[in-house]
Amino acid sequence: MGNLPEFDVVVVGAGPAGSAAALSAAKAGAKVLVIERGPEPGAKNVSGARVRLNTVKKVFDIASVQIERKVVNERFLFVSQGRKVSIDIQTKPDILATVSRLKFDGSLARQAENAGALIVTKTTALGLERQNSEEISVVTDRGNVTAKSVVLAEGANALISMSLGIRPEFSQDEAVEVAKEVYLLNKDEVNKRFGLPDDYSGTSWEILIDSPIPAMGFLYTYRDSVAIGVGATIRSLVSVKMKPYILLEEFKKAINFGELVKGGSLREYSAKIIPEGGYPEWSICREGIYLVGDAAGLVNALVLDGIGPAIVSGALAGKAAVEGYGCERYEQELAKLPEIHSVAVSRPVIKTMLSDTSNLALYAKLIPDIFDAWSANDLSSLSYIKGKLPDLLKLGLNLLRVIS
Amino acid sequence: MSIKIEEKLYTLRYKRDDQPHLIIANHQVCLKCESTYGVPQPCVSICPADVYSWDENKIVVAYENCVECGACKIACPYNNIIWKFPRYGQGVSFRYG
Repeated sequence: MGNLPEFDVVVVGAGPAGSAAALSAAKAGAKVLVIERGPEPGAKNVSGARVRLNTVKKVFDIASVQIERKVVNERFLFVSQGRKVSIDIQTKPDILATVSRLKFDGSLARQAENAGALIVTKTTALGLERQNSEEISVVTDRGNVTAKSVVLAEGANALISMSLGIRPEFSQDEAVEVAKEVYLLNKDEVNKRFGLPDDYSGTSWEILIDSPIPAMGFLYTYRDSVAIGVGATIRSLVSVKMKPYILLEEFKKAINFGELVKGGSLREYSAKIIPEGGYPEWSICREGIYLVGDAAGLVNALVLDGIGPAIVSGALAGKAAVEGYGCERYEQELAKLPEIHSVAVSRPVIKTMLSDTSNLALYAKLIPDIFDAWSANDLSSLSYIKGKLPDLLKLGLNLLRVIS
Repeated sequence: MSIKIEEKLYTLRYKRDDQPHLIIANHQVCLKCESTYGVPQPCVSICPADVYSWDENKIVVAYENCVECGACKIACPYNNIIWKFPRYGQGVSFRYG
């Protein structure tokens, strides 16, 4: 009785959101503990992965953040019925970078540690129990620890947040399952095959296909490897009983990936769920418990960014935890962050795209169709779009909301 | 050239937790699922690591193959999978992620 909680803030998860929360809380002078279930930060984490450096910079010292390559070329590839349309954009360096999670997450966690946060790995948080108005007990597989506030940065499969009923479980339309592979290929070959000027410049491809099922994929160049992945909603995969790795194999064939990594070897296979639903539809807070990042469904599926929203929400939650924000204030402040605002306004667009997979198929098909119609001087072949105009209009209006 | 799932999983590092982190809550429910959804059932078809298989009217759970994505929990129409994370840093770990 009368004992103070052992920590001001306990953060569950040492991914980008958790490390951002720990860093901002520690910088504010709080006593911070981070509980990570993996053998080291990043070891359990999977994503494309590509980050927006300006967002990372808002919270972390960019000089010691580990990246793979800076993106100098962004490709949008539309694949439909054996046809491919590719749109290439030369991007300014210093905007986008590819990252591999073990190194990237590790470098963020070290900054939190250097600011004074204590990180305990190989420890799984199992639940939270409120003791009294001042104290929350965090239950782990190695015993309990007490805190004034808790930040749940536990990722998309947010077992604690869901078991406490703070947020709902994902519906099958709200979660995309992605299968990913990384192929080893030496730096010179990566440069040569992707037309890159040096070992620090990279390319990033976003790919829409309509077959074997409508799906979105990516190809990113790392320093000495190439990452490829593809995802579809759990509902669309289950409804046709398609294994995620079968979709990945078909996807690789469709973009002729074998040629691109010829002579390279498979280094790693992984899979992950990507949230397509969450805040602001969900409540993501309860009396001193703040959800951040994937746990709060904070992924921007339109610009394909989960790490950015994770970092800014984490940094805010760290501050909220130290200052004891009420839930209303936390969610209000969150909505003011540009990266989070962007997640919220993109959500209707993504819902339109994912709710009916024929929409996603249409987008993959439409662009090659336009080019076909143009080269054949047969624009009337596009007349099927008429029936799809309401959907396209809805998408257009939702997109307008994003940019306005 | 397609790569088999066994080869894909072979690239991963695992430390096996003796205590399964994935448990079927009620095997009777799986029989109902089989009659409604046929085979492969949603958990079997969504799993990217072939953790689930249907063997003589029973779902067998090879939890040691799990890549910890959580898709099966969402795919199960009966919320019949008790999902925990492996303890003490065990389970899968990624080099690139």
